[in-house]
Amino acid sequence: MGLFDWLKQGSDPETRAAKEASVQRQADIQQSLRGGRVPSDIATRLEQARTGKQPWLATLTPAELLIARSHGLKPIAAISATCWLHYGWSWTQGHAQGWEAALQRLRAEARACGANAVVDVKMRSIALAVKDSMDFTLVGTAVKVDGLPPSDQPIIATVPALEFVKLLAADIVPTGIAIGAHYEWMTDWRNGAKMTWMGNVESRPLSQLWETVRQRAHAELRKHAASQGNGVLAHINFSQMFEREVDKQPTQYLGRHIVVATVVDVPRTQGSQGYVRDHGRSGDTVSAQEFKMVVDIHAGKTPLTGTTRHHQAYYSNDEEGAI
Amino acid sequence: MSSQIPAYAQERLKGLRSSAHSTGVFTSDFSVNEFLLVRKAGFEPIGLCVGTCVYHVGIQYGSWKKNEELQVLSKAMYHARELAMARMRAEAQAMNADGIVGVKLTIKRLEWDENLLEFIAIGTGVVHGDGHKGFRAHDGGPFTSDLSGQDFWSLLHSGYRPVEMVMGSCVYHVAHRGMFAAMGSTGQNVELENFTSAMYEAREIAIERMQHEASAAKAEGVVGVDIHEGSHGWQTHVIEFFAIGTAVLPLDQEIAPEKIADPIMVLSVND
Repeated sequence: MGLFDWLKQGSDPETRAAKEASVQRQADIQQSLRGGRVPSDIATRLEQARTGKQPWLATLTPAELLIARSHGLKPIAAISATCWLHYGWSWTQGHAQGWEAALQRLRAEARACGANAVVDVKMRSIALAVKDSMDFTLVGTAVKVDGLPPSDQPIIATVPALEFVKLLAADIVPTGIAIGAHYEWMTDWRNGAKMTWMGNVESRPLSQLWETVRQRAHAELRKHAASQGNGVLAHINFSQMFEREVDKQPTQYLGRHIVVATVVDVPRTQGSQGYVRDHGRSGDTVSAQEFKMVVDIHAGKTPLTGTTRHHQAYYSNDEEGAI
Repeated sequence: MSSQIPAYAQERLKGLRSSAHSTGVFTSDFSVNEFLLVRKAGFEPIGLCVGTCVYHVGIQYGSWKKNEELQVLSKAMYHARELAMARMRAEAQAMNADGIVGVKLTIKRLEWDENLLEFIAIGTGVVHGDGHKGFRAHDGGPFTSDLSGQDFWSLLHSGYRPVEMVMGSCVYHVAHRGMFAAMGSTGQNVELENFTSAMYEAREIAIERMQHEASAAKAEGVVGVDIHEGSHGWQTHVIEFFAIGTAVLPLDQEIAPEKIADPIMVLSVND
């Protein structure tokens, strides 16, 4: 009986071989990641997908496949990257560090399958509670653009294929993810944050703490984005504040803020005034699109808008935009 | 068991095939939009197909400090899903359907026994209106797909047809960290390479298994791939990586690819 064979695991050669293979595979994964390479098993799979020996895999929905095909995009493989980070030093900064590492790994996989871009990149975190740590996982679909040679630096687009094509049609290239993260401790020496007054009054020390933290996080975001494009879309804002009371010492407050955004590269040739001036003139990229009333036949959530689900790594305590 | 459908069920299934006629009744779980689009795609629903399986999942513990696949659990999840799917497909075959659209695959834990899982596969059997047999799977049986009616229509219009719902699963035990390892990394942010490689291995196994099923179904590609993780009430460090998607083949005779209309792009003003 099959069932009882499983109970004898460990003793049969098949299981032992599988276990050995697993140990080797893990050693290879660690070695490769340390060296910035794609682990061998994955590299083999991607190579087979690239040459058509294995079926292509796409996270795209059929509607997205339709639009990808009509715009010359061909899916190659579903690719993914993970970095599991332990926060010994800083939770907040860890987010920038973790996503960045995952991003590099995803790019390496995209390169390995000869892609020009990765679309539909989702940010994920696995619900496996391990103290002071979190995994930063990216999953997406590597695509090839007809008539383009494989890129050395494939584009990482955190938008679904539909939105990717929409942006391209408007001459805008989504290029990557930018993260800005900052935290700060404030020690309340004068006990100014404790509100004893009954009336309406601003809590200045806390306001100030938030100001600083948010401004720094956004400054980081700009800096990170500048290396990839000239604009960001649709922030995810995540912020938390904590109070820490220590016996016989002034109260401390921690403010942390994380912003995640999709970086875009927008041509600046027209300038902002030019856009307004040219609005409605035919032949222009953005303004050329006509606006029509349509009935969306998709029941439930339309695939045409909204990518909130793409960033489920944050349960976000803030209002989110479409991306 | 999958081929032995009870007599009363067979009676029910027989009636359904004639649904295109005025006397027949078809059942489906389609929404209005889905129904309209499936018909627009040239198919008629004939009846709901159900497959279910209650499975006792064997017990296996991962060794505390090791990353490893829990093969007993992996096989159980696989086997039980397959049984449910095969039974659903047998129902579709009995009603002579060309395929099953909108398959929902769910897993429930039964309250009184933590090792009992109930697997349910349910979808709507459809036939091609003109009796085209070209849509069947490579083995001549009905195709299966988890695509909604809308997705089904879109897929056909992008020049592909669904062949089989393919999946890959890997139940994995992620090692616990030792005390010393935890102490050694205070004061700095370090990558837990052991954990990272566990994620990589488990996910790779799941994807490879799915890809294997797709190539066994002689598919060209897999659309709508979803790679996710889940736990079905196992220990805290046990996790299932699950990859699922619909294997597809290009339409060759049914719709010529050059006849595919260019979709109209829409910018929605509401988010």
